[in-house]
This record gives sequence, structure tokens and C-alpha cells, in this order.
Amino acid sequence: MKSKMMIISMVIVIFIAATSFTFFQQKPWPVPDKNSKMPNPVKSDDASLKTGKAVWSKDCASCHGKSGKGDGSKSASLKTPPGDFTSAAVKGETDGALFYRISEGRGDMPSFKKKIPDAEELWSVINYMRTFK
Amino acid sequence: MKRINKYYTLKIASVLICLFAAMNVGYGQQPDTLKGITITHQAAADTVSPSPAPSGKKPVKNTFESIWLIDNQTVMIPVKGTFEMDFMHRFGTWDNGYQDFFGLFGGTNIRLGFNYVPKDKLLVGISFTEYNLTWEAYAKYALLKQTQDGSTPVSVTYYGDVAIDTKKEGDYPHFSNRMMFFNQVIVARKINDKFSVQVAPSLTHVNSVQGYYPGDTTSDGKSVVGKEMLHDHFAIAFSGKMQLSSSLSLLLNIDQPITKHKTNNPDPNVSVGLEVNTSAHAFQFFFGNYQYITPSRNNYYNHNDYTSGQWLIGFNITRLWNF
Repeated sequence: MKSKMMIISMVIVIFIAATSFTFFQQKPWPVPDKNSKMPNPVKSDDASLKTGKAVWSKDCASCHGKSGKGDGSKSASLKTPPGDFTSAAVKGETDGALFYRISEGRGDMPSFKKKIPDAEELWSVINYMRTFK
Repeated sequence: MKRINKYYTLKIASVLICLFAAMNVGYGQQPDTLKGITITHQAAADTVSPSPAPSGKKPVKNTFESIWLIDNQTVMIPVKGTFEMDFMHRFGTWDNGYQDFFGLFGGTNIRLGFNYVPKDKLLVGISFTEYNLTWEAYAKYALLKQTQDGSTPVSVTYYGDVAIDTKKEGDYPHFSNRMMFFNQVIVARKINDKFSVQVAPSLTHVNSVQGYYPGDTTSDGKSVVGKEMLHDHFAIAFSGKMQLSSSLSLLLNIDQPITKHKTNNPDPNVSVGLEVNTSAHAFQFFFGNYQYITPSRNNYYNHNDYTSGQWLIGFNITRLWNF
């Protein structure tokens, strides 16, 4: 009886240990209130979307995927999953918050404020991200 | 005794596995947790500010994706604070066919370059090339940038390069004999998102030229040493890029000598290739006639004749870092 109980316990413990690796932990990424409230000065017109798409294809798609679903070719090797930008949570973020995160970077996510010093391009990337479905 | 030990071991193992599992169980959090985050880093707020309103006076973007277009420089200068490393490789000519596997196993030439952009529009760098152990120091400055509204229709960049032969052997009575100078004005236009072209006249100056005797004859009938070639050589390059996709381009380049020398006139160069771009890399893979990589040497000494099958395969790899 005792050995039977031990075996059942072991099976349950192994099951929990195995399935625990399917979860991942994302640290919260706070955005200063001032940046979060910053409006997007770039109109989401054809020119802006074209610029945003060009920057996305070159600088973002390799990790975040062509359509922003976090399924880029490099995504599997990242410590922090790149996330799904078609989700309601990201859609609910302000443009200012997204701009802050793209500019500052964190961990696997590089900072783009030096690589792309033209802020208009970064705002255009955000306009392009809004088109993801 | 044996039975008791077996259960004891199993119990210890179970406790350890539970502890290990507890450490790895986290939240299945997608960005849903990002909403409603409170402020914690006010200091960072000052690093980001809104951009000014868009203006047609802004320069066009990405006339070229790299500072190189096969063997020529382009008008592109990376943003301030960029450090770039260039790795350039040329194989042998493929006219020997299978004997050296179409040049891949033949003579090679390699160049390592290191560039930095200390201020806007200015690039400086040094490089070291295998052929004759040539060191180069160069600078490139963007004099004019094509604007989006067309008020400035072209981009103009100046490129200057000093090359020094450092191989031990050779007929160099003075150190200055080892030096060559290259000056080029590059004029480019981004026609549309798919096509960019540039024209680049250049002047090469070599301090030391080959002589021959008896050479020229003076007015009083004396023979003096003649020069096989002039010290100065003009040439012009035509280059173009056609964007095939967001990261793939077709490249074309033609270098045409202009100056006529008494002898040893250099041959033109024709090169065609593909360029793949990523965020921090540019890969160019091509075939052409120039093997020396050093621009002054290419323009002045190239004798690979494109009409005689003297083509070679080469590649350029550039990698950028932003500090």
C-alpha cells in the first residue's frame, strides 16, 4: 500500500515538474507616466505606414515576426519571449508607452534611440504596429 | 533494512523535485500584465522626448543600405556613434576553370576595415589588406543630402583614402614611394523606393611609377628615363541598386578608366551582385573584375579583362554597432 502511494505521489510530482516548464515569467515593464501620455505626433498615413513597415522589416521582424506575433526566426533563442502584438493588451497600450519601450529597450529588446535617432521613424513603426491583426 | 532505505530515498527525491518544480512555476503572463503598471522610473522620462513635426526638408532614407557597393563607397554614412567592421574577400579569377575550382581555390585577397562615425556626416576608418600588406586610412564626409521634397535632388559625399604598401620587398628607395592617394566625389540619387543610382568620378595619385630606359628624348638628343604611366589617373564609376524585397537588393557597378597612359593602361571593371540586409549586417555577394580591394590600386592597376573571362567571386560583410 505504502509503495503504491509513493508511486502515485512520484507521478503527480513529475507531472507538475514537467508542466511547470510550459509557463514563463515576464517581469513587468513600467513606463513613466509622462512618456505613457505622450501623443503620437505622426499621422498614420500611407507615407508613415510605408516608413514603419520598412523599419519593421529590417529591425524588428527577425524577433517579433513579420506580423508582430512574436514568431520571428530569432524568437526561440530569446530569454524573454517577444510577445504577441496582436493581443488586446498590447493594443490597449498607449503610443507613448510603446515609443518609450522601443527607445529605451530592456534585456533582449535593444534600445533604438541611438540606432534610429529620427523619432519620426519610431512613431511610424508604432503606426504600423497598429495595423497588426 | 533494504525496504526502509528505498522508501527513504524516494521521499527525499520527491521533496527535491517538488522544490525544483516550485521554483519553475510562474505566471502564464502575456503582456496582459503590462496594463496598469505604476510609475517607478521617473529619471528615465527625460531621455525621451516627442519628435518635431515631419518636414519635407528631411533627407531621404536608405539611398543605399551599406557604405559599400561592391568595390566602391556609397554616399551613405551611418548615424553618429556607429562603429562598423568590414570584412571583404576576393577569390581568384575563374578563367583557370576546374584546376583551381573557378578561382575559389586560387589567389585570394582579404581586407579588414574598422570605421567610426564621430559626428554627423563624417566617417573615418582604417583598414588592412592582404595584397602587399596595404594599410589604408580614410575619411568620408556627406556634403549634401537629397531631401524628401526634392529641394536638394542629389546626395553628394566626398571620400578620401591614403594607402601605404608595407610589404618588405620591393623597389621603394623612399617611404613615400609606398604611398597612393585616392579622392572621389560621389553623387547619388534615390530615384524611388526601388532604384538608387550614383556616379563617382575619382582621382588616383601614385607617388612611384615604373620607369624605362631609354625613355623620352630631350630637345638636345639625350635619353632620359621614361615613365610607363602618369602619376595621376582619372576614372569614373557608375553604380546602381535595385530593391527586390525589404532585405534583398540587386547591385550593379561599372568602373571606367579615363586617363590614357603610355602603357599598362588599366582595364575597366564590371561587377554584379546581391545584397542582403539585416538590422546590423549587410552581406554582399558578387562577381566582378577588381581584385585589389584598395580603391587606388583597383583603379590604377587592374588588368583583369572582363572580355577575356577574368572574372572573380567576392563578398563583403559589414557589421554595425551603435554606442
